[in-house]
Amino acid sequence: MSTAALDYTRELPVVEGRPTASELEATIVAPLDQFPSRTWWIAFSVTVSFLTIGAICVGLTIYKGLGLWGVNQPVSWGFDIVNFVFWIGIGHAGTLISAILFLLRQRWRTGIARFAEAMTIFAVMCAGVFPLLHTGRPWLPLYLTPYPNQHSVWINFTSPLIWDVFAVTTYFTVSLVFWYLGLIPDLASLRDRTTSKIKKLIYSIFSLGWRHSNRHWQHYERAYLILAGFATPLVLSVHTIVSFDFAVSVIPGWHTTIFPPYFVAGAVFSGFAMVQNVLIFVRQAFKLKHIITLDHLEKMNKVMIVTGSMVGYAYAMEFFIAWYSGNQFEQFVFLNRALGPYAWAYWIMVACNVVFPQLFWIKKIRRSIPIMFVIGITVNIGMWLERFVIVVTSLSRDFLPSSWGHYVPTMYDAGILLGSFGLFFTLILIFVRVLPVVSIAEAKAAVEGAQPKHH
Amino acid sequence: MSSESRYWKSLRGLYDKDSVNEAKADEFMAGVTDDFDLSDLSTMSRKQFLALLTASAAFAAAGCNSYRDRGEIVPYNKEPEEITPGVSNSYASTCSGCGQACGILVKTREGRPIKVDGNPDHPVNLGKICAKGQGNILNLYDPYRLRGPIYGSASGKSGALTWKQADETVIQQLEECTGTSKEIAILTHSIQSPTAAKALNAFRAKYPTTRLYVYDLFNDATRRRAWEVCYGASDLPTIAWERARVVLALESDFLGTEGMTIEQIRKFTDGRDIMKSKEFNRLYAVEGSMSLTGANADYRLRLRPDAQLEFVLALINEIAVVRKKSMTRGALSNQLPPVSLTSFAEKYSLSLEILQHLVADLIEHAGESIVHAGDVPPVEVHVAVNYLNEILGNTRLYDTAARSVLFSSLAPASEIESLVGRMKSGQVGMVVHFGTNPVYHLPKAFGYEQALKSVPVTVSLTESEDETSRSCSYVLPIHHAFESWGDFKVRTGVYSFQQPVIAPLYDTRQKEAVLLTWMSGKGSFKETQYHEYLMNNWEKDVFPKLNRKVDFKTFWYAALHDGVISADEKAGGELTFRPEALANLRPPGLDGFVVSLHQSHYVGDGAFANNGWLQELPHPVSKIVWDNYAAISQKSAHDLGVQNNDKIEIAFPHGTGSFPVFIQPGQADQVISIELGYGRSVAGPIGSGVGTDAQVLLSLSALVGSRILSGARIVKAEGHHELVSTQEHHSLDDTFVKDFHLKREIIREGTLRQYENDPHFLHHEKRESFSIHTEVEYKGVKWAMAIDLNKCIGCNACVAGCNVENNIPAVGKEQVGRGREMQWIRLDRYYSGTADHPTLSHQPMLCQHCDHAPCESVCPVVATTHSPDGLNQMTYNRCVGTKYCSNNCPYKVRRFNFFDWRGHLADGYYEQQPISLMHNPEVTVRSRGVMEKCTFCVQRIMEARQHATEQGRPLKGSDVKTACQEACPATAIVFGDMNDPNSDISRYRAHDLGYSVLEETNALPNVTYLAKLRNIHSEKLA
Amino acid sequence: MNEQHLFSITALFDIPDEIIHAAEEADKAGYTRFDVNTPYPVHGMDRAMRLKPSRLGVFALVFGLLGAFGGVAFMTWVTLVDYPLVIGGKPFWSWPAFVPIAFEVTVILASVLTVITMIVLYLKFPNNAHPLHDTLYMKRVSSDKFGITIQADDPKFDEREVRAFLGKMGGKDIAPIYFDVEELNHRQKLFNPKFFSVLAATAFVVSATTYVVFNKVLYMEPFSWMSTQEKLKAQRPSELFKDGIGMRPPVEGTVARGFLPYAFKGKPDEAGKDLVNPLLPTKEVLERGKSQYLTYCSPCHGNFARGDSRLQGQFPNPPTLHSDKVRNWPDGNIYHVLTEGQNIMPSYTSQISREDRWAIVHYIRVLQRAHNAKESDLK
Repeated sequence: MSTAALDYTRELPVVEGRPTASELEATIVAPLDQFPSRTWWIAFSVTVSFLTIGAICVGLTIYKGLGLWGVNQPVSWGFDIVNFVFWIGIGHAGTLISAILFLLRQRWRTGIARFAEAMTIFAVMCAGVFPLLHTGRPWLPLYLTPYPNQHSVWINFTSPLIWDVFAVTTYFTVSLVFWYLGLIPDLASLRDRTTSKIKKLIYSIFSLGWRHSNRHWQHYERAYLILAGFATPLVLSVHTIVSFDFAVSVIPGWHTTIFPPYFVAGAVFSGFAMVQNVLIFVRQAFKLKHIITLDHLEKMNKVMIVTGSMVGYAYAMEFFIAWYSGNQFEQFVFLNRALGPYAWAYWIMVACNVVFPQLFWIKKIRRSIPIMFVIGITVNIGMWLERFVIVVTSLSRDFLPSSWGHYVPTMYDAGILLGSFGLFFTLILIFVRVLPVVSIAEAKAAVEGAQPKHH
Repeated sequence: MSSESRYWKSLRGLYDKDSVNEAKADEFMAGVTDDFDLSDLSTMSRKQFLALLTASAAFAAAGCNSYRDRGEIVPYNKEPEEITPGVSNSYASTCSGCGQACGILVKTREGRPIKVDGNPDHPVNLGKICAKGQGNILNLYDPYRLRGPIYGSASGKSGALTWKQADETVIQQLEECTGTSKEIAILTHSIQSPTAAKALNAFRAKYPTTRLYVYDLFNDATRRRAWEVCYGASDLPTIAWERARVVLALESDFLGTEGMTIEQIRKFTDGRDIMKSKEFNRLYAVEGSMSLTGANADYRLRLRPDAQLEFVLALINEIAVVRKKSMTRGALSNQLPPVSLTSFAEKYSLSLEILQHLVADLIEHAGESIVHAGDVPPVEVHVAVNYLNEILGNTRLYDTAARSVLFSSLAPASEIESLVGRMKSGQVGMVVHFGTNPVYHLPKAFGYEQALKSVPVTVSLTESEDETSRSCSYVLPIHHAFESWGDFKVRTGVYSFQQPVIAPLYDTRQKEAVLLTWMSGKGSFKETQYHEYLMNNWEKDVFPKLNRKVDFKTFWYAALHDGVISADEKAGGELTFRPEALANLRPPGLDGFVVSLHQSHYVGDGAFANNGWLQELPHPVSKIVWDNYAAISQKSAHDLGVQNNDKIEIAFPHGTGSFPVFIQPGQADQVISIELGYGRSVAGPIGSGVGTDAQVLLSLSALVGSRILSGARIVKAEGHHELVSTQEHHSLDDTFVKDFHLKREIIREGTLRQYENDPHFLHHEKRESFSIHTEVEYKGVKWAMAIDLNKCIGCNACVAGCNVENNIPAVGKEQVGRGREMQWIRLDRYYSGTADHPTLSHQPMLCQHCDHAPCESVCPVVATTHSPDGLNQMTYNRCVGTKYCSNNCPYKVRRFNFFDWRGHLADGYYEQQPISLMHNPEVTVRSRGVMEKCTFCVQRIMEARQHATEQGRPLKGSDVKTACQEACPATAIVFGDMNDPNSDISRYRAHDLGYSVLEETNALPNVTYLAKLRNIHSEKLA
Repeated sequence: MNEQHLFSITALFDIPDEIIHAAEEADKAGYTRFDVNTPYPVHGMDRAMRLKPSRLGVFALVFGLLGAFGGVAFMTWVTLVDYPLVIGGKPFWSWPAFVPIAFEVTVILASVLTVITMIVLYLKFPNNAHPLHDTLYMKRVSSDKFGITIQADDPKFDEREVRAFLGKMGGKDIAPIYFDVEELNHRQKLFNPKFFSVLAATAFVVSATTYVVFNKVLYMEPFSWMSTQEKLKAQRPSELFKDGIGMRPPVEGTVARGFLPYAFKGKPDEAGKDLVNPLLPTKEVLERGKSQYLTYCSPCHGNFARGDSRLQGQFPNPPTLHSDKVRNWPDGNIYHVLTEGQNIMPSYTSQISREDRWAIVHYIRVLQRAHNAKESDLK
């Protein structure tokens, strides 16, 4: 890996070295043309088996009932909602990278945008499973959609869960469209370079007959800009709304105004950790080191310092406000988090989210692949635990001591969590086989000398 | 050039016509395979596709409509006057769940009992009924009941037999016994029915070698014996608890399990009526185990039960000798050992202050106080207590006109011992278990089970298989109380009647009828046999004595209609205390651990073991379900080196058993109290093996004597046993969570003095909670509930009533352990103070029907909303089960069907027939995945509204009574229309002591709690 | 039919500057129907081709507003007009709660519809039949070359001039693009048996599945709709009893609350003597009596008790109730008849409650009185 000293005064080359457009295309497309490697098959079989375990647990849950999980009174939400929030969070990095960085003219995003968007979509798919599963009668999801169902009553527009339904569907659709829009020119290129009839057929369908015509490029770029413009507030709104699930309730430890910013920061935090982790593999496996450069990874680590610190600030602020509010319920909840039966979760969370990421202040660590990988993983663990702490500790000891209870997850909870990871990585593995992990058109445009000089 | 460009023009060249068609035949590829030809794409293939779409949609629509069978309608072919389909009616009857023989009203729908309530006309229980009485309905429909006669193991045969065969063999055996003058033993519980007594006498007349053995696992033999000693008769007078200003309970659980609890609770809580706070009574409890009575005491002292005699003597000494206060007519007895109160207090480290208060109160209220000892202490204690009451002149509170009636006295242990002996030596030709289960009940030391083997013919008359029937030769199934005729008399002047509310479900007979058949020869049986015998007896014997004006028929029907008649029978008048009774009252020497055996709260003597509802009712103090346990104090636990759920072995010379330990705050040191009635081995899928059999600890004498046993060897035993409770135990010395119920103002209490000096003390700091939006207006009726914590003693009757009314399933021990119990009412119990001297507070917690219900605004599918009359209502079939409402409920009173519970408990035991008959047809039987909660008995509200509409009048708050309100023996629950200014509920809501839990959440609950006033001497709470 | 139709002349360039220059020149030369194909957007090309700025932004705005107002309007209609419900004690129209949804709807409409508009309106996609497809030219431009194509339908088009012009610009691989002859000639028959058989097959499969799913699968374990419950409602069968009837008769000899057995079976005169009407003839009582009478009695005795029934002649005529006999009867007698029946009149115990029977008696009295009213009544 190149550890060349960096001069921060000039902008980094998006693509290192000076490959010609066709070389570039060749490198990016390479994995699509050759038969999957042994490692890929191994990885794939592993993820698929996880997915199967998950599927079995889901099936049993639907057949027998939620009793198989650890949920109870008073803790009626457990792993299900924790995973939901976690996966939605993972998704956020993608949109952030592709949309927000695009608006901010951060050209370095080129290398990772496509991949991050894909992750967004897959993460949202994983997340989407849980709101359905966590219901006692999962065969009635339609009751959550706005039509006059049972007793011809509509839905409750004041319920954060309904907001969720709208937010998550919107988020998924828009991300998908955004991603597909970016794919069209690449699909066209693939169409024109492939020799297989079947592939050509498929590419032709999905590239819609794109001709790289400049009269099209003009509208295309505008549409892309508009979408980026919408995706940006959308991504912020989505986790804000997810945080409303808690903030809008009356339960001490949930009923907090700090949640929206805190959740969004946390989401970006975990999201970047996940992207970073996966990209480390991808650039290795598909020899994309000069396109997904070390500088990219470093930049992501920087984002993690920032968001990590924001999260840490939020933790501190929660305690301060609890004390400052003088509200005994609020105060107890936070004491209980730090000292109560779930203290272990709380302190691991603090360590993973607040302490470790601070190491990124040190440049060597920031640019050391193995260390950043480990930290990335701890961050994801930490962020998962954060959701666990918020959901479970707050519920297990709320207002009336007589109703307090304890939450112990079962093997089914674990199995379904495993399954969601299985689903995520299976989808990733398929994605890297069938689609260019880097936007070909954008990469070409980013090569030095790709744009006219005297204009 | 062109050829070059042709090279890239590909597909049609490669496809021949057929393959194009093939490609077309594949429906959604259609658009594609026609070679990217715009015209084709845009016209033809799209047409095809749309056509396809619409056509299939049409067909789909055709497929959609449901053809499911909606079932058939089966009307009455001759509709009886008293039944209108869909409308319930009720029958007056008598409960035989325990010895109290309360009057009940059985509510039936289309001739099927679905609910039991108290009979308001009955002078003893005045329309109230306990948890067991409520749950008894499940015993009627218990799938485990016997469907017909069967051979018992002892007969060598197995399988079913007909009543005819049974009658023949039995009668033959009876005659043979009479011939060979072999004994015929009948084991029965106390007889409370004059007619049954008559039948038994007739039977003895017919078969002279018959002998009757009467026993009850739970009895007040010691009190009766003492009464006999003191007053020469064993028929106890009733006590006017309502007139007592001071009550001293000595190891007595008169509010929980002992005596005529329903009546006692009512009369005691009469003295706790906040509307007349001037007449508040004061309850002192001195006991070793934490009883429900102790839990409700104003002052409670821990004292090991075997020191009670010493204590009473000390009191007598203090009052009569030291303070020279005595109202007894006779001269003071001088044979009593002088015990100094102070030294006694030191000896047992009791608070002398409290004792001084006690003595002062007793003297001040001499003549209107009651000293009452429980069933557990020995005769001596009762004798001393009687004497103390004499001294204090409390005999004025004895209603000698209304005495307890006994048709049969309990057989002393010696008698049963000799019976066993004769059985072994073959002098007994036949044993009949007259609805009894001695193998399980009797102290194992008798060796009764083995003895049975050497009796040629043993018959068990029982509702379902039990320990005894297993070792009998003939098992003959009998009616459940709701299928039986009968009359009851447990108090002079009060006769109550039992009439069947449904024809026998199975091939069973009433146990009295069985005897009649055996008397009057085989084949004489007919279903109406006992009914006729009963009417006959009344017409011939009882009715004439009553000298009524009307003819018998009218009288009889009126009696059945009311369920009870009162006759003016003069029972023995004046009580004169016999001083000689006081001879040799010497306190026993005490050392080491002492074991006291008590009644179970909800499973009776094991008769209700197979009743999931009752098994799952939380113990009123420990909140433990599905188990009994050895309650010990923290110190003793430490001494024995045990923790909760560890096991200890208790070894007596006569029997040994090991029990799970539960550290009970307030338990006296070195006292182990265990409840009897658990640990049945043959009780059915639900009841078998629940809890631990404590009868093994009973000594022979303890059967009819004191249940305080000392001299046991107690050691930590191997193994654990998980005790499950519905409420986490928050250790009293864990400062982290201590006294939260007070800090958070969930429980608000004061003292009587405080209240009298400043009635408004509760609401001094004025709280105002604002709402950002305009409030919804409720015109017309708006429902609300008030619960008077001064009256609520935490007996769980409301929970039981709610269970039956609302089809609430039992979930089983394991699921309760996971925190998934379904009872809509949670009787919260909070400890404050110290582990040794805790103060208990009870609080029934149910859906508060908040005006700003937090659950409603978060439900995504509008499954829970507010009704125009202010109810927070659940629409079950809209509920998808996100459980968000439960999370957002500050009171956590919502319950979720994590499983299909009926299918889940004991492999679908409660899905078997005839359970479905038991369910209230007016209440949805919730499926799994649905949230549920208290509805304020909306079905009753709707019924009342319908009724009002029929009569063309507006609905009044007083038209509706909720199930819990109806059940509450203390009438602590008030329900009604808060918009009606003159209603009770309005008065309670406006009361100075009224408060709502968690006001700061501004949920505006519609359930008001009345703060408990502790009647102690200080103004501040301890 | 084999002569080829020319679509356009194309040329390829290697570096962006050349293509920009070529575009500018083509424009100068007055060509209007020409286009530039580049593997990625080249900066300044729009200016070079003098393209008008895209209007997509306007569409986005319109769709966005549509979403925002449409969303709010919809929620308002549902909560205020269609099904108002009290939820959490909040006003029916709790607008703050509408904000999140309104926002989401705005975003989804604005973004998705904009993209669709672009694809359909501006790009005229999907279009896989464009002559440029599957040409060497297209292959190169979608890889790394920059191409220009001048179409044959351009007014100034002249094949030789265009080739010359492109050569002058330094374009390589100057090549003509032809329409595809076969595609031009290719036509498809509309009615094609294969297609219809497919249609039928699909339709069958679809409807079969929907039927099975909606009527069978959805009622199998574990799906529960609480439509069949473990309880016995009125008039339902039950296999638990031999007669299969869920409703049981009361046990012989028992007395339900409020239903003391009728004491005067077969003793009308005692009934007349001993029974007194427990109800007072208040307005409510009479109203109830009236409604009950009209329901149960009038069919035979007539609306005014004149014995003029709607069933005239079908039965032996029922008597009038205005006969002296009935008028002189004490209430008890009439009640007795209602209870026990008389001649062919059956007992009405199971239809009319006891109170209502007494109410009817009152009403009959009213009818009798009205039927022969006296002067004095008017006073």
